[in-house]
Amino acid sequence: MLTLLLLIVPLIAGLFLLLNKSKSNFTPVVYIGIAVQLAIFVYAFINFKSNPSLLNFDKAWLPDFAIRFHLGLDGLSILMVGLSVVLVSLILLAVKGLKYENMSHLLGLIFLTQAALIGVFSAKDIFLFYFFFELALVPVYLIANFWGGENSSKITFKMLIYTVFGSLFMLVSFIFLYMRGQSSDIDSLRVTVTLLPNAIKQVLFWGLLLAFAIKMPVFPFHTWLPDAYSQSPTPATMLLSGLLSKMGVYGLIRILLPFAPDGINNYGGIVITLAIIGLIYGSIIAIKQSEIKRLIAYSSFAHMGLMAATVLTLSVSGMQGAIFQMVAHGFNAVGLFYIAKLIFEKTGSRNLAQLGGMTQTAPKLSIMFMIVLLGSIGLPLTNGFIGEFLMLKSVFDFNTILGVIAGLSVIFGAVYMLRFFQKTMFGPLSESATEISDIGSKELAILIPIAIVVIVTGVFPNLILNVSGTFVNTLTNLVR
Amino acid sequence: MYPIIVFSVSGLLMLFLGLSVNKKSLLPYNLLFMLVGLASNFLDWNAPGLYFNGMLEISNPIILVQWVLIFAAILVSGISSRQFDDTHAYPAEYYAIMQFALVGALIMVSFQNLLMLFVGLEILSVGLYVLTGSDKRNLRGNEAAIKYFLMGSFATGIFLFGVAMFYGATGSFDISSGNSVANNLLEGKMFFWLGMVFIFIGLLFKISAAPFHFWTADVYQGAPTVFSAFMATIVKTAVIFALFRLAAYSFNLEYENWSKFLVIIIGLSMVIGNVTAVFQTNFKRVLAFSSISQAGFMLLSLIGLGAQSYGNLGFYSLSYALATISAFGVFLVISSNTIVEGRPSENINVFDGLFSRNPDLAIILLISMLSLAGIPLTSGFWSKFFVLNDAAAKGYFWILILGVLMSAVSLYYYFNPIRASFKKTDLGKIEISSLSKYTLYVCAALTILFGIAPNILRSLF
Amino acid sequence: MVSQFGFVLLFMIAGIFLVLLVLGIARILRPSRPNPEKNAIYESGEETEGTAHVSFNLRFYIVALIFILFDVELVLLFPWASVFGDKALFDDTKGVWAIYAGIEMFIFVFVLALGLVYAWKKGHLDWIKPSQEETNFKSPVPKELYKDINEKYA
Repeated sequence: MLTLLLLIVPLIAGLFLLLNKSKSNFTPVVYIGIAVQLAIFVYAFINFKSNPSLLNFDKAWLPDFAIRFHLGLDGLSILMVGLSVVLVSLILLAVKGLKYENMSHLLGLIFLTQAALIGVFSAKDIFLFYFFFELALVPVYLIANFWGGENSSKITFKMLIYTVFGSLFMLVSFIFLYMRGQSSDIDSLRVTVTLLPNAIKQVLFWGLLLAFAIKMPVFPFHTWLPDAYSQSPTPATMLLSGLLSKMGVYGLIRILLPFAPDGINNYGGIVITLAIIGLIYGSIIAIKQSEIKRLIAYSSFAHMGLMAATVLTLSVSGMQGAIFQMVAHGFNAVGLFYIAKLIFEKTGSRNLAQLGGMTQTAPKLSIMFMIVLLGSIGLPLTNGFIGEFLMLKSVFDFNTILGVIAGLSVIFGAVYMLRFFQKTMFGPLSESATEISDIGSKELAILIPIAIVVIVTGVFPNLILNVSGTFVNTLTNLVR
Repeated sequence: MYPIIVFSVSGLLMLFLGLSVNKKSLLPYNLLFMLVGLASNFLDWNAPGLYFNGMLEISNPIILVQWVLIFAAILVSGISSRQFDDTHAYPAEYYAIMQFALVGALIMVSFQNLLMLFVGLEILSVGLYVLTGSDKRNLRGNEAAIKYFLMGSFATGIFLFGVAMFYGATGSFDISSGNSVANNLLEGKMFFWLGMVFIFIGLLFKISAAPFHFWTADVYQGAPTVFSAFMATIVKTAVIFALFRLAAYSFNLEYENWSKFLVIIIGLSMVIGNVTAVFQTNFKRVLAFSSISQAGFMLLSLIGLGAQSYGNLGFYSLSYALATISAFGVFLVISSNTIVEGRPSENINVFDGLFSRNPDLAIILLISMLSLAGIPLTSGFWSKFFVLNDAAAKGYFWILILGVLMSAVSLYYYFNPIRASFKKTDLGKIEISSLSKYTLYVCAALTILFGIAPNILRSLF
Repeated sequence: MVSQFGFVLLFMIAGIFLVLLVLGIARILRPSRPNPEKNAIYESGEETEGTAHVSFNLRFYIVALIFILFDVELVLLFPWASVFGDKALFDDTKGVWAIYAGIEMFIFVFVLALGLVYAWKKGHLDWIKPSQEETNFKSPVPKELYKDINEKYA
């Protein structure tokens, strides 16, 4: 029931903001929406261990087809739902402080995305999952299209075609599974899958993988990403990198692992290799970027590659690391894109060559930037470290050579991130940065929570690892 | 049965109202008649049986489809407001013919006798030939009308020939008599098969399934937009249900024989419809080719032919009607605001900057296009899901994959108007009459409602 | 053994044969002296002028349609009359049959008559249309210009 409430609150808030005609009266709705959601989530989190039935919602959706509207939260889901609740709240507040026209509609669309995300992360029925998986794209597409730059129509369209194309293959696989199992419940379909002929299992693996691989994206399917990230407006970029890409990893863990374990055993190596290639490739390109949004985009792409690889190693540490990194990377990516937007708003430039010396005029911004950046690099005692460490360990266990290559990415990560920091914050004061102001309390209200998360989860990783521990153990036992 | 009588009488009344009442108050009368017809339809509820000496069958599922047809006609009338205001339009005749055509459509979904099917088909078609050419000053309209008439009567001829063969083989026009030849030897069956093929071809022609689709784009483009909407929704629904009745009652024992060919026709319709639509710049042509591919999807339920298929088809028809009518409705408003060379522009670029010109229309267009493309949250997703699932359950898995692939292709042209509508322009606001506005609101709201809670509609059938 | 369709075929063959036979006999018996008068197209004694491929006035069609309306009506009236006058049916139903059948035919004729009234009221029966309608076509050429030209070359 609580999960349904979590889904409905942003939906109502979003619809209200979209249908709202007056320009000014929407601020309280945003705050109330965020507050109510956070309150429900905290209550749900407290009751998570003691009273799990409180989080379940199960009702017939299409009785003739045995399709159910089944929401529920387990160890993985509650983390991801929590991530979407907290992170989207931060994004909402951040966007509210930025300058966009039609603010009410923009915030409404972000709320709708949030509703769809919570749906994806809590769906227990394959068709419900698919329903929200596709749905999450529509508001983001609209944001990117309408609030984006010159070329955004073309580029976001490419993104849309790519991702919908992928998820249609997922739909085909789902319909197939549904016909074989006469049920669409994720848990009960696991049994059906084991009874399938071997050849079909392999096809199923590729069908399902394609959707998630495009969404994240994994190496050969990433061509939509750099343009989409750099041309889209910051709200869309934050949603895409912080949350929508996590849908892909989540799908791997929730759908692909239990449904196609045989396929992973056969072809997992290929996909892991591709993902590691993507990791290195993304990192190297990030080093050469001069446009800050593209730089973060490629770094994001690299991180997603590592997550995809480790999930497919089917090890406990890999899974835990990927889950941890999903949360960590969500916060870091949103923080970085927000900072990039702040830099752009203050200086009017996104080019590294035209920036510099901002520590002198904007010390608070540079401190915050430093913390988020260190998290992103994976310095010990920040959140990035735990995830990277666990993930690299699992890749090492899987294949030593791949592990060594993947380990290089840590060095590359430090190179491009520190270069990014150095070029923008240090050095001679650039012309564009001479008269800029530092960030105020409004911006700090977004960045300080992110910084706290970066440090706290880095020091006490068990806060997250404990929540997902049971789930990961059951899943790995089941899959092996 | 009652709406057939109501519309026969009200059509005549409408003709005479046109002589005495002024033009603007004809639409309210038309809506009134249609609402009366809609209400009278429920008099037959829970009273199944055969009427007119076993010529028509009435049962609850049939009444629901008739309800879909009348409802779609009401929506089409709704978007026609202000369209027939100029001096060269004869709205009384248009609405009267629409009601007569509706009679034909109603007969086609409830026939029990192949002659009734023929009568219904002719009433529907002849009305539409006239409506297609009703804009006499439009050269394309004239071309469309003659093309539609020639092609359509040719198809009717083929259909009638098939009916004659059917009669020759079975000795009866009753649809259930198809089963009587089941045990015949091959020799006796040849006649029957020939009849079956001709009947199928004649009707497939009317729903513009490929390869019988060549007239579609020209006719949709040439016909006045309101009547294109009528053609795309009501004709398609009526004919597909006629086909379904035939497949379920007359030819069900021959399933193995015709399903193999039908599935190829479906595949062709999907590929030709979707791929050709990508290259169109005229929005009405886009919708015409989209209707070809949608016809392919609708035919999938004939392949399914199970307990669920009738309901799937009903769901599909209504959700398709809602989406198509709102697409045509939005287009009608905008194109009559964009005059190029003395005529309303039909190019896709009429949608440029729609969001800033009239945000409501842009959102409705968005919903309707998403529904046609089959994206979740809209009823279009479920309708495609139902029929694909149905066909795949019969073992035609490749058509499922093809259908899904073609949906991906269709995204391209369905998103073109959406992309255009989010462009930035400085064109003025668009005004819209309140009747069409509320019609479009209803379409959009129902599309979303059936998308979130499909069971509301699905459980009715 | 010949089937029902076989009889149809036999009829067709016999029909063709008979026509050929009669024409063949005529061919043998008749004298053959063609002249231009004889070879001319027969049109009620009038001399033919021009080609047949000209556009007729559209009003011919409307009048023809209205005529056909009542012409075809007879096709139904004849069989109806034979059933209406069936004494056995009349006796069986104590006359109710005749009332129903009568009402039915009245409805049928009434609907057809409505069509005539409609055409009448619309003015399709008037051969000469009373007034010229002014089009609201907006031409870049002003109307005065046409008037000047008409007056100049009148």
